[in-house]
Amino acid sequence: MSEQIREQVSAFLDGELPNSETELLLKRLTRDGELRESFGRYALIGEAVRGTTRGGLITRGFTGRVNLAIDGESIPANEHVPHARGPRWWRPFAGAAVAAGVAAVAVVALQQRAVAPTLRPGVPLTAQTAVPAQGALRAASGAVPAPREAISYTVPATSPAAPAATFPARLTNYVFAHSKYSSGLAQRGVMADLLIESDEQQSPAVNEAAAHVAP
Amino acid sequence: MTQSMRNRANWLIPCAAVGALLAALPQASRSADDPRDWLQKMNHALATRNYDGTFFHLSEGRVETMRIVHRVRAGRVSERLQSLDGSGREFVRNNDELTCYLPDQHTVLVEPRPDNGPFLGSLPQFGADVNEFYRIESLPATHILGRAARVIAVNPKDQFRFGYRLWLDEKTAMPLKTQLCDSRGQVIEQIFFARLDMPESIPDSDLAPAVRTEGMRWVRQGPSRDNASPALSAYRASELPPGFHLTVAGTQTIGGATVPASHLVYSDGLATVSVFVEAQPADAPGAHSTAAGADPGPSTPAEPPMQGLARVGSGFAFSTVVQGHQVTAVGEVPAQTVEFIAHAVKSSGSAELPRH
Repeated sequence: MSEQIREQVSAFLDGELPNSETELLLKRLTRDGELRESFGRYALIGEAVRGTTRGGLITRGFTGRVNLAIDGESIPANEHVPHARGPRWWRPFAGAAVAAGVAAVAVVALQQRAVAPTLRPGVPLTAQTAVPAQGALRAASGAVPAPREAISYTVPATSPAAPAATFPARLTNYVFAHSKYSSGLAQRGVMADLLIESDEQQSPAVNEAAAHVAP
Repeated sequence: MTQSMRNRANWLIPCAAVGALLAALPQASRSADDPRDWLQKMNHALATRNYDGTFFHLSEGRVETMRIVHRVRAGRVSERLQSLDGSGREFVRNNDELTCYLPDQHTVLVEPRPDNGPFLGSLPQFGADVNEFYRIESLPATHILGRAARVIAVNPKDQFRFGYRLWLDEKTAMPLKTQLCDSRGQVIEQIFFARLDMPESIPDSDLAPAVRTEGMRWVRQGPSRDNASPALSAYRASELPPGFHLTVAGTQTIGGATVPASHLVYSDGLATVSVFVEAQPADAPGAHSTAAGADPGPSTPAEPPMQGLARVGSGFAFSTVVQGHQVTAVGEVPAQTVEFIAHAVKSSGSAELPRH
């Protein structure tokens, strides 16, 4: 990847790339899967360096140390340094080693979130989870409107020989069905996810018995 | 299903629910720079403007480039969402239906989405109690795409829901960048525009799919049959995380199943969780692992029940077996929320779902 493209990616992520150059970058990204991957890493690193992962893994002192590392300056151990920024092209890649560490922490955090023991019904909420007054657990009520239409996305007939393969397809169908009721900004993410072809996600297919096939 | 429900397929209406937070708030008490006013402006801009933009969708370090075209003409809304570098899939929505072009599957799916009312009238309405669970605030202004931008944060007050950060164009209130964040503010997913035009008019050609459909199979889905057994319809979540309540209940055929599933929708006004309850085949391994079951379901080839947590897009799904039924909760919420709700599902014994 050329230095010019690095500059463009960094400037774009900083919201400072001129529109004319943005068009060029966009075309490159559309064509170049490797560049897209790098772009994703830049964005993740950029969020960390900018400190928008607030209150979590990255402290302001950490951000300052990363930026000093980017500038090539030595950093005394445990020294809290002020927020500083290096040349643009440096910032995203900057310290690829540091960035890799940040990414690894993020991944670990995500995995921990996915598998952490969670609250269950009937277990009193802790102080961390509690919300005022009406926050007490409430029982679900009954009278509600009913959906009127079926979802048209279905999985293929299951094969007893390969039951595990039906898991993601079945979930994908649930997500399709759920997308109709996703509210607010979440809808955007659901639709975007469904547009993405994923190696791990089976595409929804057609239930031959239920589908009406038109010419 | 209500009209407002049908209209939620519009992906950029997304902001509708955020805007709905505002509905219950007294206008007079807000200042000109109140972040809630900006969310309302955003909501209005998304629903009423023409726009044609290319944006990046970033999730888990993966980037996809997509194009959105949105046109409002004579009160009718047309929209096209296109993957530019991935599967080649496209979604085209008109007032009446959503068409999903899936070239990788050689299939076109058409789903009716009737919409006879005013577009803005379709925005969901929520009660004031939504504000108990989210805190809305302004963050320092910035520039993005060369434009001055307001930054608004919708922060969850607990860990049962996600929040958002939105960069809104100072002139038009269009969202130039959005982030989905957890309760600690960590970014889970983000979308930002590389290009965003707001033309006076958009030609039909810009809303036509680029996918060549010759040889593709067209599938049109009609209304579902509401033939769930009373036993299936009796399933509900007996307890819920704070703020969530049942908003929709019904039955539909999900996947390759030969019997309908109960579909329950729980929402706090912004976040939504779907719960699917399906009778587990009697001979499936573990079908009765949780409890002695009533209504064990039809005798069909065994399929192992799904169990445990799975990541689905920016949200989670949690599956378990309850009284011989497969129960799965899915939503763009933290893992503990879907797990909490799935574990709370049980049969109330005699409840009957409202019919539509």
